[in-house]
Amino acid sequence: MHLMPQLYLDPGSGSILIQMAIAALLGLAVAARAYWGKIKGWFGIKSKSADDDDDSDAK
Amino acid sequence: MTTQTPNNGQLSASFRDPNGFLFSRNGILYRQINRAYEREYTRLMESGLYDRLIKAGMLIPHVEVDQPPAEKEAAYKVIQPERVPFVSYPYEWSFGQLKDAALTTLAIQKRAMKADMSLKDASAYNVQFVRGKATLIDTLSFEMYKEGEPWVAYRQFCQHFLAPLALMALKDVRLNQLLRVYIDGIPLDLASGLLPSKTRFNFGLLTHIHLHASAQKRYSGEDVKARRGSMSRQAMTGLIESLESAIRKLDWTPRGTEWGNYYDATNYSDAAFEHKQQLAGEWSQRVKPALVWDLGANTGVFSRAAGESGAFVVSFDVDPAAVEQNYQMSKKANEQNVLPLLLDLTNPSPSIGWANSERDSFGARGPADMVLALALIHHLAISNNVPLLQLAGFFAETGKWLVVEFVPKSDSQVRRLLASRQDIFPNYTRAGFESAFGEKFKIHETVEIRESERVLYLMESK
Repeated sequence: MHLMPQLYLDPGSGSILIQMAIAALLGLAVAARAYWGKIKGWFGIKSKSADDDDDSDAK
Repeated sequence: MTTQTPNNGQLSASFRDPNGFLFSRNGILYRQINRAYEREYTRLMESGLYDRLIKAGMLIPHVEVDQPPAEKEAAYKVIQPERVPFVSYPYEWSFGQLKDAALTTLAIQKRAMKADMSLKDASAYNVQFVRGKATLIDTLSFEMYKEGEPWVAYRQFCQHFLAPLALMALKDVRLNQLLRVYIDGIPLDLASGLLPSKTRFNFGLLTHIHLHASAQKRYSGEDVKARRGSMSRQAMTGLIESLESAIRKLDWTPRGTEWGNYYDATNYSDAAFEHKQQLAGEWSQRVKPALVWDLGANTGVFSRAAGESGAFVVSFDVDPAAVEQNYQMSKKANEQNVLPLLLDLTNPSPSIGWANSERDSFGARGPADMVLALALIHHLAISNNVPLLQLAGFFAETGKWLVVEFVPKSDSQVRRLLASRQDIFPNYTRAGFESAFGEKFKIHETVEIRESERVLYLMESK
């Protein structure tokens, strides 16, 4: 099955492979941050949530 | 105006997307949404994503309308997006404008992810400045997010935003002009070669530009379908945040502008300056233009005077530093009706793209209702050798009304321009100016600026 039938922008083979490699690494950091937040949560320390983008403006 | 195909009004900048397109009917811009996009459109509207983006000023608002579609067979709905007061392009933006457009694109992607959607493109041309804010204008940019899939717009984001911003911040701010040549963004191998080698020690630029460029070369044309589907949501979040952090770290602060100290270095006094400001304001109130183009606006002092009448003012200047200062001021004051843009009037933006009709030239986006040409004529007539009659013809095509300043040869600014060259401009006199412009314009007002030798005119094209 073609995963993205709607695809109309050629994402480029190299661009896909490199982003998957980079993202795998960066995903670990995101996971680590989430766990660290949880651990801090057990001790009642409120951490800056990853959801705060709705408050931060692009400007 | 925007180039159109002859039959159904479809705009030629809008031909790539099978999900819908823009068309114009009776001067109003509509977007047809095709049935192929029904599921995505419904998700955008019903998940709350649309409302959140509108509230944040990040997406162009639209209303669904009862207009017959331009292409009936494929049609699902017709929407009418809010009109963008003036369409501008990334090669006309200052560093800060491109940076804000980049950050808005990433902020939208983060919000889209929460609604299980994702941006299917990250084109800088999909962003326009509306009410002073970088705003996504393509309502059809969203697709369903499937966990595991990579971000299809990653390459485009790097080419349209990260590469030019890095080049502007770390090499030379004028390199944004490469966007005029490369309509799909700066090729990453080119950016990688031009960037200083120290940028390889910057994690964001190392990965998203240098390694990205090498990977493109190495894996060009390789079939990667089998390897897709394994990028977790967390990995996607990490990728977007990494791009965001790379963009945020890039900065450019203007250091002394070409004309940055212009207002101090001029020969005219505060009284003359205020007199010009007052006249620009008064004449704008009198003419009540909807769209003003201030050509050679510097940091936009007179643009703001003209804007007090409620007009939308595009504030053009050739100096990237002046445009950046103008934009930062406008952003700080939360101004909604001033749009600073970069423009070299001696070589204005051409029409570019497929069939030369994807992006309109400077002239095709006019005419304006009123043009301000203050302290400008001597640059065009003397530095650029344009005969006065040709100048008059150009301005008559560019706007209905013209507020123009004549700066005589005795003025120190003109003396400076003539200092290193022969004076081959016998007609460059007040009488010569009035006779040339009198051929194309009706001169309504002629006012000598207080405490100076300059003259300000209000003219209407014939």
